[in-house]
Amino acid sequence: MRLLHAELAKLARPLSLGVAAAAALFCLLLAAGGSHNAVLAAQGAPRHLPSCAAEQVPAGPQCSRWQAAARARLRQIQAEPAQVSGQLAPAAAGAEAAGLIASLPGALAIALLAGAHIGGEWSGRTMKSLLTQHGRRWQVLVAKLVSLWLAGIGLIAACWAALALAGPVLARLSHLPGPDQTVAHGLSLSGSQVARALLVLAVFAVIGLLAAVITRGAVGTIAATAGAILAMLAVAALPGAGRWTPATWVASWMGFPAGLGSVTALPANFWSRFIGTGAPPGQVAGFAGLAGLVVAGLAVAERIFRRADISG
Amino acid sequence: MTSVIRCEGLTKRYRGVTALDGLDLDVGPGQVFGFLGPNGAGKTTTLRILLGLVTPTAGRAWVNGRPAGDPDGLAGVGAMIEEPAFYPWLTGRRNLEVLALSGPPLPGPAGQIGRVLAAAGLGAAADRKVKGYSQGMRQRLGLAAALMRDPSLLLLDEPANGMDPAGIAEFRTLLRSLAGRGITVFLSSHLLAEVEQICDQVAVLRSGRLVEQGPVAGLATARARVRVVLDPADHRAALALLAPWAARPDGPDAVLVDWTDGQAVTRALGQGGVWPHQVVLDRPALEEAFLTMIEDTAAVNDATASR
Repeated sequence: MRLLHAELAKLARPLSLGVAAAAALFCLLLAAGGSHNAVLAAQGAPRHLPSCAAEQVPAGPQCSRWQAAARARLRQIQAEPAQVSGQLAPAAAGAEAAGLIASLPGALAIALLAGAHIGGEWSGRTMKSLLTQHGRRWQVLVAKLVSLWLAGIGLIAACWAALALAGPVLARLSHLPGPDQTVAHGLSLSGSQVARALLVLAVFAVIGLLAAVITRGAVGTIAATAGAILAMLAVAALPGAGRWTPATWVASWMGFPAGLGSVTALPANFWSRFIGTGAPPGQVAGFAGLAGLVVAGLAVAERIFRRADISG
Repeated sequence: MTSVIRCEGLTKRYRGVTALDGLDLDVGPGQVFGFLGPNGAGKTTTLRILLGLVTPTAGRAWVNGRPAGDPDGLAGVGAMIEEPAFYPWLTGRRNLEVLALSGPPLPGPAGQIGRVLAAAGLGAAADRKVKGYSQGMRQRLGLAAALMRDPSLLLLDEPANGMDPAGIAEFRTLLRSLAGRGITVFLSSHLLAEVEQICDQVAVLRSGRLVEQGPVAGLATARARVRVVLDPADHRAALALLAPWAARPDGPDAVLVDWTDGQAVTRALGQGGVWPHQVVLDRPALEEAFLTMIEDTAAVNDATASR
């Protein structure tokens, strides 16, 4: 615990505060844009469905299918103001925050923090001082990992706090309807998503840790972590290859809507839009895959770091 | 006598480059031990191996009776390797607090960090951010970090770098007082004049090999020579008469002889009809002895290589 305390003390730095502030600002801007989008879409939506003839859709079953799809889309657009209002309710905003931080924005923020907090020990030549004080390298690695993971949780907290404070104001300014869910339901939704995000953040943190022990520098760690995350998404986007990749494990475990289904007035994540639609592996498989990644990543990092020469 | 530091055949190769080549070393307790050598001789590599930061390619080392790098053995070691690095966004005091938290609890009563900061001469600057420290202040903070756990062994790598003359004098006094309290100080330095004033024993390293080890006074005496001042007209004759003792010119009116017996030199010159103005036993500074040793070793190595 002393070592973890030391690592957390090191994280109390301007960069960490800057990343947290940037995460909060990102969430705020997204919320403002989402509120605006929802109102505009609802105002611009047609009151009645146009006929199949007007849309040059042949009569018969094809027309019926088109009408069903158009009706569903219209209902979704009309419901968006209420949906966004619900997403921005203070109690439920934790789910929105968890979804955003457990996806690409959070991954990139953790890449930055991993570079500064772990890779920076090599670039700043402080690793020798640290290991001279504490020779048990595996404990140093675990403390680094846990502190980075806690920093990721701090980003969720910053985003949630920003949304909880600004959400009701934005909803009022955009004339959104009041949320149609109770505080208890909102808290339950937030609790569930935040709890799921903990595992995803651990995966991002392990990738950052592994990148640091391999590249041994701040810039290399940032680049390698961000590169690994983007590669995960790229592989998952390949047709037929995305069924069992880390990116689909994240999407399944977090319950992100598949493919472009995640693109709404106020997106709940920036992840599944990059992944091709297809049968997801399921939550259990997602959990097992992500947990396995954390264990394997930590084991590989420990193996590399255990005998690595600290020459800087 | 129990060794505080012991190395047996310590070797380190980095991608085919030999940084350390079969180093055998024995350092007893309660002394200031100088570790000398030119850049790239393997001094820092040795210190890193002793601290467990670098794994040797071959050989073994022990610190305080435990294998080098053993976490329990490190608890009694304070170290400052090369230019010490700190977290620039934290104050000097906070840096030490973070380092203290990174290891076992500090010994002694509360306030240990304040005491070592004051001992290192940083009491007034302790609450300033390290990014504003000069190099000398960072060296002092490194020394404070090394002393924070009341170590029985101090490993210091070029500790006086960047310090002003007053700081170096304070530092010298501090190291002698630490040795007086039974703490072993292992000091790697290229400031040979400093080593000469501080150290009890010296080891000289070159190209990863131990060239010589012994008491500072003995090391310099071993290189003592006689300087003969004479009339320039007798210069050539004196060089010929003293040739068996490897005499060499030292300006137009002097000859240096690698021999410590002034009487024998005077007799040899007198028997040849050369009468010197002065015959002086010349005890070179450690720096000169050190350079001579390195040149000698280089010559031996070159000769060996050319065979």
